[in-house]
Amino acid sequence: MIFDLIVNEEPIHTEAPADISLLHFLRDHLKLTGTKEGCNVGECGACSVLLDGKLVNSCLILAAQANGRRVVTIEGIHAEDGGPNDLQQAFIEYGAVQCGFCIPGMVLAGEALLNSNINPTRAEIREAIAGNLCRCTGYQQIVDAIQATALKRQEKGRRD
Amino acid sequence: MTDRQFIGKPTNRVDALEKVMGTARYTADYYLPGMLISRCLRSKVPHARIISIDTSEARQIPGVHAVITCDDFIDHGRFGFPIVDMYMLAYQRVRYVGDPIAAVAAENEESLQAALKAIKVELEPLPGLFDPRQALSPDAPLVGEKPRDAEGYPHGNLLIDYIVRQNDPDAVWKECDLVLDKEYTTMHQEHAYIETEASLAVPWPKSSGVTVYACCQSPFLAKNNIIQTVGLGSEDVRVIQPYVGGAFGGKDDTMYQTIAQTAKLALISGRPVKMVFSREESMISSYKRDAMIMHYKIGAKKDGTLMACQFHGIVDSGAYAAITPFTAWRSTIHAMGPYRYQACSVDTDVVYTNNGFAGAFRGFGNTEVCFASELAVDEIAYRLNMDPIDLRLKNCLRPGDTTSHGQKLGDDVALAECLQQVRKLSDWDRKRKEFEQGDPARIHPGELRKGIGVAAVFHGMSLGAEGKDSAVGTLRINDDNTLTLTSGLTDYGSGSRTVFTLIAAETLGINPSRIHMLRPDTDTAIDSGPTVASRATVLGGNATQVTAMRLDAILLNAAADLFHCQIVDILRDGENYIGPNEEPASFDKVVDHARQMGLTLSTEGRWNAPENHWSFESGTGKPYFAYHFGAQVAEVLVDTGTGKVEVTGYWGVHNTGTVIFPQGILGQLYGGITQGLGYALMERVDFDKGFIQATNFDEYIIPTAMDVPEIVGAFVEKPFSDGPYGAKNIAEPSLVPAAPAIINAIFHATGRRIQNLPANLERVLIGKDLRKEGSNTACKLGLHQV
Repeated sequence: MIFDLIVNEEPIHTEAPADISLLHFLRDHLKLTGTKEGCNVGECGACSVLLDGKLVNSCLILAAQANGRRVVTIEGIHAEDGGPNDLQQAFIEYGAVQCGFCIPGMVLAGEALLNSNINPTRAEIREAIAGNLCRCTGYQQIVDAIQATALKRQEKGRRD
Repeated sequence: MTDRQFIGKPTNRVDALEKVMGTARYTADYYLPGMLISRCLRSKVPHARIISIDTSEARQIPGVHAVITCDDFIDHGRFGFPIVDMYMLAYQRVRYVGDPIAAVAAENEESLQAALKAIKVELEPLPGLFDPRQALSPDAPLVGEKPRDAEGYPHGNLLIDYIVRQNDPDAVWKECDLVLDKEYTTMHQEHAYIETEASLAVPWPKSSGVTVYACCQSPFLAKNNIIQTVGLGSEDVRVIQPYVGGAFGGKDDTMYQTIAQTAKLALISGRPVKMVFSREESMISSYKRDAMIMHYKIGAKKDGTLMACQFHGIVDSGAYAAITPFTAWRSTIHAMGPYRYQACSVDTDVVYTNNGFAGAFRGFGNTEVCFASELAVDEIAYRLNMDPIDLRLKNCLRPGDTTSHGQKLGDDVALAECLQQVRKLSDWDRKRKEFEQGDPARIHPGELRKGIGVAAVFHGMSLGAEGKDSAVGTLRINDDNTLTLTSGLTDYGSGSRTVFTLIAAETLGINPSRIHMLRPDTDTAIDSGPTVASRATVLGGNATQVTAMRLDAILLNAAADLFHCQIVDILRDGENYIGPNEEPASFDKVVDHARQMGLTLSTEGRWNAPENHWSFESGTGKPYFAYHFGAQVAEVLVDTGTGKVEVTGYWGVHNTGTVIFPQGILGQLYGGITQGLGYALMERVDFDKGFIQATNFDEYIIPTAMDVPEIVGAFVEKPFSDGPYGAKNIAEPSLVPAAPAIINAIFHATGRRIQNLPANLERVLIGKDLRKEGSNTACKLGLHQV
């Protein structure tokens, strides 16, 4: 079938099998390989993307369900100059990254949280990323990075 | 040391940027023109003789380019280290559910699945062996390759056995006021790297050779296995390790099979061949941390002096040896824990069964025995009405002590300091008083109870007497005056690339941003043995330092020539070289001058670990050149109505020597403790008649961000004379004591000592496991999953 959707602000018009999951559509057809497959049953969150701003596991969603909608993958998260945005920079500075396989999903989970809650507690951050498994870091530095970004965005909000 | 520029200073991980941007390419992220996909047909029975495999029909299916069995490999693809008992594809027998039988490469999923269905395999079922305790009884089915002995004992099921001997415990029991006699068990643990196994083999023109991209533990072992089983020359195989999504010891043997299979399929088809495991395939077919049954007898005096330790362990290696002979040796060496005894005897039997297969996993045999011995020592403390930290301080190994193996320790030992620091950091003494000791008879159901527990660890550094231990690093100054650094040791997330970069920068006095470290590649790096046993920092770090010192000497020569002075008269200021007249010359200027002098600006450095020796006959020796020490404290909140355990606080203090990469070492500590928390409370691999019961993360539960408390870490930076800039290792020992610390805290809260892992709801609540009979459905379904 023909798919028409917006991925990372870019209109996509392409043909793919009707029963393809959004995850495999992104990876196999659009070669957006920043979105990872870890379990394919919606448990690990490595395939997290934003669908109309909401965090979803792209392995549990058919590409057809995303038709006509907006998808943001990790490739769509960056600063204006194409470098890391403030959250990504915080992940680097706080040591939130080890093997890196869960990190695209973690960054998107962080963005989804900060879009809806600019002042989360550490417990709220932990809850927001509880659908994203990480086997390396023990999560603490990821929580640090998201919390630091929240504080910075609040400050910036006050200044603006 | 305050004069260091980079070591121990806040630094970012060298490969973090591409990981946060999503541009880091892992093996599964490669898509090449004409690339085929591939998959294995795997055994759905735990034990059977292979009568025949007919692939003729599968080969005829349109879109199928290659179908292979063991007959396509030299010597049926037999491989393995240290014991050779595995095949690239099953030969004569399948020995566990998930054993690979044949592999197919095809253009698309439909052809691939049709081909897998069309392979005809005739199997004759054999009786399975599922209870490791029964492995050596006369009527046990024979799983190993050696025959029965004259009395009919299944000699082949005993993979190997080890001992440690120090005096005779039987002569000491009568001097003891308390003798504890207990059995403990641990289960298999799944590595649960979020990236599943993946390999991509790209054939060279006319199939003259092959390049493989794969997320394996050691590209060099992978290459050697291809050379030996596929029959290519050393110059015809190149193995490159792209970014790896976690390994934790788990990407060895299973990956070497996958790599050899894809290499063979690529050579036959003349097309690139990619194989990526589904989570189900990964969990069913990959090896696990071995399960252990451990019997401890420990005697002590009333004053808390530990007197004698006797241990008997049975290790379930499953269907193949893999690296279990080495993990079990490490279990044997560490079974008595970091304490002084007058007498000690350790016996470990490693047996074959049809329960999957076991291999390396972070902690490598020490995780199991540390769990059990730290529970035993803790129980002795409680029985003697002693504070558990006091008892450990009374008995713990200190500088100059002799271990139960007969090894005299050096001055790097700092376990007492770790225990004292963790006591202070965790506010142990106050909490011990405040959280009243639990008594099962007096607890009201539903009451929430707090507890606090401790565990100590020692962990032998690197490979020990398992084998020759050395590493090599290389450095080269490029035309643009950047530097290229290589190491034969790999980084699957642990941070060793950053550690090596910092060591090279510090040694050369140049900015780390000048240095680019290549990914491990058998064509550019030099074999340094496997990246296992937490050996990267010490082995690879020293090799990096040696090669950097050599390059530094060349550049100092050039600077001396430039300044017309002696080398000793040259000082450094940042990257600048300062001559005797205080004239600075930039790094670039010195490098250019070195080029004009015709000096070669590349170096190679090897570091050999100090000698170890072990007598397998007498059970004595110097098993490791040094040890890491550490102590951890856990605080828990137990719901006595449901059995739910929440870990509410956690403190870890480790004797790491000099910290090189602060943010990295904390990440290792937090991550290790989190894996240990999972091992303690939730991670469960059950085999029911050989069928694994959990095949994905819906049933195999690993800790989420909500299961882990805020962790406080600290390091005793007593410099280690054999480490680079005084550093020791951290990766494994961070995990090892976590489970016993948590289980000891549960005892403090509830008065119930859980001797079998994991401490699930029912074990915490009623002291036994309510698990019902399993089924083979999920496992069989998982093998069909794509």
